[in-house]
Amino acid sequence: MFVLATAIVDWDAMWKIFVVVLIAGTGTVVAFGFLLLGLKAANRLGPKETRGEGPRAGGYALAAVCGVLCVGVVVVGIYAMAKKPSSTPAKPKAKAALVIPAGPHKFGGF
Amino acid sequence: MGSTTLVLVIVIAAAVSFDFTNGFHDTANAMATSIATGALKPIVAVLISAALNFLGAFISISVATTIAKGIVPSSATAGLDGLFVVEAALIGAITWNLITWYFTIPSSSSHALIGGLIGAAIASVGSGAVSVHGIVQKVVAPGILAIFVCGIAAFLATTAAYLLIRRLGQEEARAGYRYGQIGSASLVSLAHGTNDAQKTMGVIALALISTGHLSAVHFTVPVWVKLLCATAMALGTATGGWRIINTMGNRITTVESPQGFSAESSSAATILASSYYGYPLSTTQVVSGGVMGAGLGKRGGVVHWSVVGQMVVAWVITLPSAALVGAAAWNISDLFGTNSSVGAIVIAALAAVVAFGLWTLSKRNRITAQDLDRTSITPEIEAERAAAASPAIA
Repeated sequence: MFVLATAIVDWDAMWKIFVVVLIAGTGTVVAFGFLLLGLKAANRLGPKETRGEGPRAGGYALAAVCGVLCVGVVVVGIYAMAKKPSSTPAKPKAKAALVIPAGPHKFGGF
Repeated sequence: MGSTTLVLVIVIAAAVSFDFTNGFHDTANAMATSIATGALKPIVAVLISAALNFLGAFISISVATTIAKGIVPSSATAGLDGLFVVEAALIGAITWNLITWYFTIPSSSSHALIGGLIGAAIASVGSGAVSVHGIVQKVVAPGILAIFVCGIAAFLATTAAYLLIRRLGQEEARAGYRYGQIGSASLVSLAHGTNDAQKTMGVIALALISTGHLSAVHFTVPVWVKLLCATAMALGTATGGWRIINTMGNRITTVESPQGFSAESSSAATILASSYYGYPLSTTQVVSGGVMGAGLGKRGGVVHWSVVGQMVVAWVITLPSAALVGAAAWNISDLFGTNSSVGAIVIAALAAVVAFGLWTLSKRNRITAQDLDRTSITPEIEAERAAAASPAIA
């Protein structure tokens, strides 16, 4: 079963994808949560409480760092969209999902 | 106008129609959770999504290049026969998209297109046209893995989000995460435009190459093709696709804003990472996995497995069903001879009749934007609903 799965799935690419998704997907949600916590500490979110300048500045700093992280992930995402590896022309090998030989019917699909 | 030119025009019209159905079929992928949590009004959500899909279509042409040059050798796509196969494939994909839309099931438009091509190609040249290993490797395996990769990430993200909510407070969290949702859903829309609008650009470019209107050597997608595809995708997205949005946003699980943000962030990361590493996954299946993971990530969260079961059945039968329609369409067009444009006109007309029939039937149980609007629901009502759905929130 494992041999079959190895032949079918590119595990190397899958692991890379999984790690990136964990860092970017889960990490963004955590960073955004801390951004909200920072804003709350800075009295910008929820009921206003009496706080000293220290906690407020700390809240702003936390929110700023997390905000930069979130925006950074979005920028990297857009960069990844724009810089997708370009494809090379296919050769008619059995690896393609669809390979149609040229002949009386001259067409191939995916 | 010669036969080839007429069929080329019909193929381009079919490709644009497919793009339109792809738009309204997949609006749910980006915006369903934002609509379900009331982060955005339904109309506003689909308009934002439409604009970003339009923009996304212009970001790169790598997907279009893959479709036009990277999958089928250009020597094998010349002539009228090739155009008939492309048209039959598109009709298979359009028909399956409309059928799943009618039954309110999110299914992959890309898989429908691949299924249509498989069916039309087999009908045209026989089973030798298809490599089962290639289909399993490039379509089936990624489809299964997509659900788990995004599902696990969304599960962990939701769990972390609700841990933070204990310190943050319910109302602040709901309000804050709604803003986050708008950002993450917008990124999914942009990614969708980049991937899916380009698939249609690739199909049109393939048709233009096959008729000699475009060079395969110095390949570029003409501006008018980009504009046509981006506009069709944006118009389709703006139309709404409320039936599928309802399933994705409300029927799989009860989505709160932290869950919606987790699902969309994980989906955006999965789509972009997989695309970057050359392992493209179905957007629909990625987002569905994300919504399921987010549903399970909340303590006491409930996933409606009967709905998930219906979706899985639809995913399994998408490829063969679209293939069957594609093969039937090719066989019907073949009845009129391979050198005549009559067959192309007949199958296009039949597809239009089927589309009109499904649209008419859908009016019996219409779902509108007003039905899905949650923006007027106050936090108190939302909290009551959440408490009714599950005993513990955080």
